[in-house]
Amino acid sequence: MHLSGAVFAFWAAGFTAHFLLLFVLLFRHHAKTFPAFTTLIAANLLNSIALYEIALRGSKHAYFVAYFAFAILDLVLQLAVTYELARSVFCPTGTWARDIRKGFLILVLGSLAVAFVLACLPSPPEKTVLGMLLDRGNLFSSALQCELFVGMIAFSSTANLPWNTHVARIAQGLGFYSLIGLVTEAGHNILTRNTLAFESLTYVRMSTYLLCASYWIVMLWLPAPAPQELPEEAQRQLFTLQRRVEYDLRKLRALKR
Amino acid sequence: MMTIRNLDFFGFLLVFLVAIIGIGTHYYLRDRRRELYPYGKWDELLKRLAPLDHQNLERIALDPAVAPYQEIQLVEATNPQEIWRVLGGMRGIELMEKNCSVLVDLVFYVQQWYPEALLVAEQLRLNAREVEWHIGRLKATAKSGRPPVAAAEYLQQAVAIYYHMTREVLALYEQANLPGLADLQRAL
Repeated sequence: MHLSGAVFAFWAAGFTAHFLLLFVLLFRHHAKTFPAFTTLIAANLLNSIALYEIALRGSKHAYFVAYFAFAILDLVLQLAVTYELARSVFCPTGTWARDIRKGFLILVLGSLAVAFVLACLPSPPEKTVLGMLLDRGNLFSSALQCELFVGMIAFSSTANLPWNTHVARIAQGLGFYSLIGLVTEAGHNILTRNTLAFESLTYVRMSTYLLCASYWIVMLWLPAPAPQELPEEAQRQLFTLQRRVEYDLRKLRALKR
Repeated sequence: MMTIRNLDFFGFLLVFLVAIIGIGTHYYLRDRRRELYPYGKWDELLKRLAPLDHQNLERIALDPAVAPYQEIQLVEATNPQEIWRVLGGMRGIELMEKNCSVLVDLVFYVQQWYPEALLVAEQLRLNAREVEWHIGRLKATAKSGRPPVAAAEYLQQAVAIYYHMTREVLALYEQANLPGLADLQRAL
């Protein structure tokens, strides 16, 4: 298989970005906090190397099968990252905040249903089964991620749960990439492969990913704002306040019945 | 090739995109407002507090019927109509609701900047959300046209919780020696 100049340039840029990002994650000790995200970036780095080797030495079919396998791995890892981010926002004390548990479950089930309907709707031109599955799968993945991220933003805002700086930056990058991915994958689902329009959409998606990777490199390199120390007396006061409000609430709950 | 099914798909996609971007932008901007309150920046947050007659609130909240750590009893010491009037009717409830959301933001502020107080702040966040919910319920009751007298004891309890919460939050900020205490005292 021959790699065109543009494809090679994107490959080289992607490889460099993943390498740098993995370096930042390990060097800045983020791998322990974000194991799923680190695995996703490591898998993408491996993906770049493997696909490059197969593109140079393997057949077109082998390349397509490998691409498909990596796409499935990518979807699974992206969902794992979403779960990782959701845990850090909605489990501030180690367990899921009880006021969002039910809503979050509804969000996940609703998002799966809507993404599935969206992925089933387009009527693609003649394509191989693998090609069609790949395009529909990418559309499903982008729609699902968009829904989950917007849902997470809405829940955290309603429940007044703060986002850790680095968690927010990873989520912003993934959310933006999913949104652009949704548009490009919608186009991929109705266009014929190997046409200029199809390839252009692929380049748009790859450029967006490179932009997000650069954003993560910078943001994860920068340290998060340092937390402040609450005086012991204030901690006691906070505890008293909570006890008082809890006690008063018990009275209000009793009146409601 | 643009088939009827693809047109349906694009219609659905358009609605989906508008909904996603609309909801995302709405909540993102709401969150951004909070991010504008980094450590030590209080002015914008405090500007959201609406002035309520502190003395009237105190009068309702310190009624023997709702004195803290007392058993539940019917409101007898203060006339229900009087409570409604003193609070300022529907406008009073709306102001209390607005101020309560600022108090929730203050808790959010503590949670964001003082991770060592996470456990108790998380519990307080859940309680504060419930207080908001009760106030919202009162508002809905009043809006539905039901006579305020019917919800008087409930209203009085909610006012008492709101009042005690404001006092405790003030004490907390005083203890923690956080900036902006004088402004907070004026506003609450």
